[in-house]
Amino acid sequence: MSTHALFSIREFLGVLKHSKHGKMGLALLAVPLTMALFADIISPYSPWERTGMPFEPPSIKHPLGTNDIGQDLLSELIYGSRISMLVGFTAAIVTVLIGVIIGLIAGYFGGIIDEILMSITDIILLMPGLPLMILLAAFLGQGYQNIILVISIIAWPGVARIIRAQVLSIKASQYIEAAVAIGASSTRIIFKHILPQVLPLALANIVLRIGGAMIAEASISFLGLGDPTQKSWGMMLYWAQRTGALSYGAWWWIIPPGAMIVISVLGFTQLGYAIEEWLNPKLRGR
Amino acid sequence: MGFKEYMIKKIISRFFVFFIVVSLVFILPRLLPGGAFAYLIENPNIPPETREELIKSFGLDQPLHIQYIRFLHNFFLKGDLGISFRYLKPVTEVIMEALPWSILLVTSSTIISFTMGILLGAYSAAKRGRVADSIITNSVMVFRSMPSFWLGLILLLVFGYYLGWFPLYGAYTYGAEYSSFVEYLLDVLYHLTLPLITLVLIQMAGYTLFTRNTMLDVITEDFIVTARAKGLSERKVVYGHALRPVLPPVITVFAINLGFSVGGALIAETVFSYPGVGRLMYEAVYTSDYPLLLGIFVYISAFTLTAITVAEILYGWIDPRIRRG
Repeated sequence: MSTHALFSIREFLGVLKHSKHGKMGLALLAVPLTMALFADIISPYSPWERTGMPFEPPSIKHPLGTNDIGQDLLSELIYGSRISMLVGFTAAIVTVLIGVIIGLIAGYFGGIIDEILMSITDIILLMPGLPLMILLAAFLGQGYQNIILVISIIAWPGVARIIRAQVLSIKASQYIEAAVAIGASSTRIIFKHILPQVLPLALANIVLRIGGAMIAEASISFLGLGDPTQKSWGMMLYWAQRTGALSYGAWWWIIPPGAMIVISVLGFTQLGYAIEEWLNPKLRGR
Repeated sequence: MGFKEYMIKKIISRFFVFFIVVSLVFILPRLLPGGAFAYLIENPNIPPETREELIKSFGLDQPLHIQYIRFLHNFFLKGDLGISFRYLKPVTEVIMEALPWSILLVTSSTIISFTMGILLGAYSAAKRGRVADSIITNSVMVFRSMPSFWLGLILLLVFGYYLGWFPLYGAYTYGAEYSSFVEYLLDVLYHLTLPLITLVLIQMAGYTLFTRNTMLDVITEDFIVTARAKGLSERKVVYGHALRPVLPPVITVFAINLGFSVGGALIAETVFSYPGVGRLMYEAVYTSDYPLLLGIFVYISAFTLTAITVAEILYGWIDPRIRRG
């Protein structure tokens, strides 16, 4: 594992630029990130306005056609990137945050605290994840904040386990023993010595989990538990299914949102690999 | 730890998880504001007699701890999970009608993707660095990044709508009369094809990558070097020697992933209007049929926990080192 105590953003970008996975990831993410950042500039119409006839096939006026109520699908796709990315990012950050806190506490304090926390972790890991997400989403109600919450509740145990394992190995090292010997407090040891070493791993986990969170958001939305007031790629597919886009052969409605999900998930996975390689050089050249 | 002791310990601890699942199903609708029962009390479409019967059947007129004990008693001793709001009959009965279809889909897709994933991963590892390896790794990565329902939609669009090779919905032809059992079976397989391909393509991806990467670690070990030095063919080295130690970790990953593969299968069902538990879950969400939704979660959990426990016991039987943990 890495011994980098802290890392700078510049070093991080340098790593991405020099790795094959990193370059690939950045290239893939260029499209969805541009969409999300500049939606109001590049979008031809407002995705909430009816600018055409229902179920129009692609034309110069509407490059990806229109939906069942005549809204422009390209604009919907561009604006949809925002919620899809936002949910993916936030859910991954919250997931890793919970995982790091639980993993740190369990690994550092050990004993009964560790046992209780790890039992909870195991129980959640053993439950069927997607059905549990659907269940919680159904009870919490529609709203993208709830989707973020639901994804994080289900996903943190995986992170907690990884972090705990690393905390255990750091704790066994001599300088922690030395720190304890000179009378450093637990808080000092955790924040000064352990946390900085866990951070790169936590960062890699955030990036690696964005993709999974985006697929989870799409699945929950597709089942009709998404936020009906927001546009996301998952919601586009939900409406396509609900209004029978398939029976019209409306490929222009079905293919683009899923393709954007695939591109984004692939992009984040590649970035995650680049960071993992940087942490663990043994993986290079795989 | 002996094998028997290991087995009993696993079964007890997995049963404990199931107990938590059942308790969760009790707590959730009572915990959340405006939750499940508001629908029941306020819904004007339910006739008063039925409503009273429903309230009584959930024991909502009693204190919470009594409700909990009754709930556990009814479920564990009678398999009773209450009455579906929509179908107005026992949840268990509704689920049992859909269950065989889901089991058919989940089991067949899991077995095929597991076997094909291991073989493809081993093949990819044997050809590491060559064109075949990079084609396999890259295409598998793409499938792993796909929502299963979207792949299902694409397959339906191409092979159902445009080419017309496969049916657009269902598990069999509705209203068809079959002259023989074989004809029925063929019809079922015909309807199974697209959902099955969807799930196999998605689930296979994880197994392929994992087998390949574990195998690349194994290939540098001494016993493989020895096997090569003996002059064994690359084929024998890979499939005879290197594959064996890879299997136990792959089985573990299988157990861990099962909950998610089942979830993926359930969502794919809604795309193909396949009359299984997933389709039922979608309807339950759509019609706010909470008892049905909760019941489905209990059954899915029972299924995945059983499969995980069986996998773990098999693993402990194959590899005695595991029993120590």
